[in-house]
Amino acid sequence: MKEQWRLLETGYGSAFTNMAIDRAVLVANSGGKVSPTVRFYGWEPSAISIGYFQSLAEEIDIDMCKKLGVDYVRRITGGGAVYHEKELTYSIVISESHRAIPKNIMKSYGKICGAVMKGLENLGIKSTYVPINDIITNGKKISGNAQTRKAKTVLQHGTVLTDVNVEKMFSLLKVPNEKIKDKLIADVKERVTSIKHVLGKEVLFEEISHAMKIGFEQEFDVELVKGTLTEEEKELTKKFEKECFSVADWNHRR
Amino acid sequence: MDKESPLMKMQSRSVYKVPKGKLLKIYLKYDEKSNLIDEINITGDFFAYPEEAIESMEDKLKDTLLEKEILFKKIDSIIRTENIQFIGVDVKGLTKGILMCKK
Repeated sequence: MKEQWRLLETGYGSAFTNMAIDRAVLVANSGGKVSPTVRFYGWEPSAISIGYFQSLAEEIDIDMCKKLGVDYVRRITGGGAVYHEKELTYSIVISESHRAIPKNIMKSYGKICGAVMKGLENLGIKSTYVPINDIITNGKKISGNAQTRKAKTVLQHGTVLTDVNVEKMFSLLKVPNEKIKDKLIADVKERVTSIKHVLGKEVLFEEISHAMKIGFEQEFDVELVKGTLTEEEKELTKKFEKECFSVADWNHRR
Repeated sequence: MDKESPLMKMQSRSVYKVPKGKLLKIYLKYDEKSNLIDEINITGDFFAYPEEAIESMEDKLKDTLLEKEILFKKIDSIIRTENIQFIGVDVKGLTKGILMCKK
């Protein structure tokens, strides 16, 4: 019998809730209270997340975010600023010592990205992992990923772009030089793609989520069993949301 | 810079794309006579494990002389003692990014 991992399909949530759930699952798993967990989710309202080491005020046009009703949040993972709108986001939480996870961080990025690539293949999209943390198709980025390891536990989350709105993204992100903004937009359009663009049609969130579920099962040779957050995880989510991710001290700390 | 930014107090900054790595943005306050670091913020889209060690590194870099060899050795020693693993940036890149802040 295949090893069973938990599957969470938490639907669309705010930036603060989304980041709080990932952290709550990380804490619960590190305490041995829940099995390895794969989660799929979306963002409502749309939001920008920045990497742990980035400066919020330097990366994001906060006034424009407020004006357009776009949330912003600092992640506990490194990496760059991401505009989350039309995408499916995944996260995986698993013990560092699990046989499926390479000890080497770069190799573990590759392994987990392998699951996303299989998921894309299930949708008819061939892709490649490009270190450090990108997945590309036809030379263009379709997925970005970020990993942290805390309390001997791995959390990796990442995006699978379903569509891209580069103009909107650039209205929310600060650019070093306004004069070259048009060129930057043109460059990003050349370098980033989406499921919609590759397949030439819209694909439902549920369909992508299903393809990704199968992808994770194939890559890790496990069965993902639909589950829910435990009561403890729900409490932790509320706590992290209130005390961390929605708090200015956290988001503006750098 | 945004009024809410904690980096507003910094006198100098650099933006450095590490070869085959990530974009490093460093904010620095230093004594222009003695060339000693007063305060430093190392930001960017890189990865470091554990993440919180970056704050410890920033603290330990205070009073370090802005001189290539000394800075390199200091950063290397902090990485070893704090057991930090950087991805997308290395000692050489950090040293270069910091020195680029010097006016």
